[in-house]
Amino acid sequence: MSNAPAFALPRRARLLPLLVERHREHGFLDRGSVEHIARQLGMPVAEAWEAAASMTEFHFEPVRGERSCAGLACSLRPGWREPTLPAGCLFRCYEPPASGDERPFPLEMVRRSGPLLAPCDQTWAGLERARNLGPAVALEELERSGLRGRGGAFFPTAAKWRAALSRGRPLALVLNAEEGEPGVFKDRALLCLRPERVLEGLGIAMQVLQPAVTIAFINGAAEPAAAAFERALAASPIAGDVLVYRGAGGYVLGEETALLNAIEGRRAVPRPRPPLPVEAGLFGMPTVVNNVETMAAVSFIIREGAAAFRELGTAHAPGTRILSVSGRVSRPGVYEVPMGTLLSDVVVEAGGAGDSSTALLCGGPSGGFLPWDLAATPILPGRYHPTGAMLGAGGVVVLDWSSDIRRAALTMAAYNAEQSCGKCTPCREGAPLLLELLGSGRTAEVDELADVLQHASLCGLGQMAPGPVRSALEFWSGVFV
Amino acid sequence: MKVDGHETEAAGTLLDVILALGIDLPHLCKDDNLPPIGACRTCLVEADGRIVAACHTPAAAVQEVQTRSVRAIELRQAVLRLTARMHGREPDVSGGPRSGELWAAYAAHGLERPSYPSRPRSAVDLSSPFFEFHEEPCILCGRCVVACQQLQHIGAIGIAGTATSARVTAGAAVAFAESACTACGSCVAACPTHALRPKPLRATHRPGDARGEEG
Repeated sequence: MSNAPAFALPRRARLLPLLVERHREHGFLDRGSVEHIARQLGMPVAEAWEAAASMTEFHFEPVRGERSCAGLACSLRPGWREPTLPAGCLFRCYEPPASGDERPFPLEMVRRSGPLLAPCDQTWAGLERARNLGPAVALEELERSGLRGRGGAFFPTAAKWRAALSRGRPLALVLNAEEGEPGVFKDRALLCLRPERVLEGLGIAMQVLQPAVTIAFINGAAEPAAAAFERALAASPIAGDVLVYRGAGGYVLGEETALLNAIEGRRAVPRPRPPLPVEAGLFGMPTVVNNVETMAAVSFIIREGAAAFRELGTAHAPGTRILSVSGRVSRPGVYEVPMGTLLSDVVVEAGGAGDSSTALLCGGPSGGFLPWDLAATPILPGRYHPTGAMLGAGGVVVLDWSSDIRRAALTMAAYNAEQSCGKCTPCREGAPLLLELLGSGRTAEVDELADVLQHASLCGLGQMAPGPVRSALEFWSGVFV
Repeated sequence: MKVDGHETEAAGTLLDVILALGIDLPHLCKDDNLPPIGACRTCLVEADGRIVAACHTPAAAVQEVQTRSVRAIELRQAVLRLTARMHGREPDVSGGPRSGELWAAYAAHGLERPSYPSRPRSAVDLSSPFFEFHEEPCILCGRCVVACQQLQHIGAIGIAGTATSARVTAGAAVAFAESACTACGSCVAACPTHALRPKPLRATHRPGDARGEEG
């Protein structure tokens, strides 16, 4: 925890920061250190231990060697071999094969920029405007913009803020910069290159919501992004008002309630809903969780006005979307495009083959595959195809189906099985079985299992886990027999 | 609201309403007196055409619930089949406040033998003087953990690890006897599968017998 203001959070909210600090110093956590931290915080050892053990990036014994990426874009490279110290994704899909620590996002990998990724003046004009407008009018402006959350679920942002405000204070605000989906690196791009944009959006949200606590939760491995954010934070008008938390991995942290549990020093697993976070989130406070890209859009909207935002995109999905494009393309990187742009156009712009050999993975492990003849579809919230492919967080991995689809589907199925938080039965028990069925060619049994995962799992990640398997079988079943 | 055709008052959660009507519905991770966990997914019902877990769905917004629609039963069976992956046969345990809710749920849903390959786990912790933990029947419902952390406020146990490595764990992965456990018995009372069970009382044990000797 840096720049730590004295927020009145329960002591256990310091668990994750202390574990992260200890892990950094020693390279791993052992029983004694977790016991020591638990005692320091006056919390039961078992609760500290289960919280620590729910973080997939923590090691509990010394490790040697350098992490190598086991993600899709990297594994497509000729000569790639299964790494000895694999990492699900190292988020440098634009320069495969990746290994070692993260590096600052290279400016040249911004292949197409729009209002969010373009350089902006180094003032806080948006924040000043929000102050002048006052919270109610600023919120109306945001409402008129029609902005929908960019984390992947596309919930209307103004409605989320209103819902939290209607529950009364104190409330909490969380900037979700955990970005843990394989194949997605756009939050890293924004944090490394345009941290002021994100901070201004966050500052505006603080103006409107007047939260008792504001937390920026940044992916534990995203060192350059966190450093850029913290540097910009220190020089910003909201310096000292934001707690920076670092994660320790786990795809499940993309689920808001699991993220809140992690901040609270609990096992990072999703909570049953209701209550929704806006009703009772962090330590029971009404809590707004917004993605990095959402905050960048908030900054643009308050600076330039809702009408300017609505000039881009469609009536129901205004604005732009940052796609992370990787795989078999000559120009991988981030593409900020207006909503409604044809997916196929972006793939062609990125230098993908764009013929019947092409398959696209859209939406990562929670999404699915799409054949090229369905790729001329507008980039919009929701599914591109009922079997799974979706916009989600904007990851697009371009593949050659005949050589890649089998490995890609198995990689996604394996990822979902590994990353299951282990809380609910359908996902914990079903996801590994789905991988087994696919790997052994027992595809006739997939439907029933996919159905129970989709309809019985506790959270969205379990519910969407069958996507890659289902879509691969829908279009290329022959490859798996 | 209506539940299986019966008019009733909407109060609390769907599970509260359903159980108050005397309708049998498995709810392996929901303790009557503790907040819902949402882990076992065995209380799925159809509410206004949507499949939901009854234990954490408020009754207020729902018009009609069907606990026995084909779809609801089919999904509960599928969840129970996945649950059955985790363990072997029903242990021969007499006594204990819960009498095998898990196997009652199987019987009610016509599950006779496991249909998925099993992934048995076999850890045993006999270190407490009053109860035993046998991992084999554990379905990770989490009821013991909630009882320990939220009912007793002891926090001797948690569920450590993710995916299929998740397991009920005392302290920082120590034996029960080395943890903060006070042997209060709440976890044993909460367990729906006899994974946590009282230490057998030996019927023939008399003062003067050799301690610990089998009777």
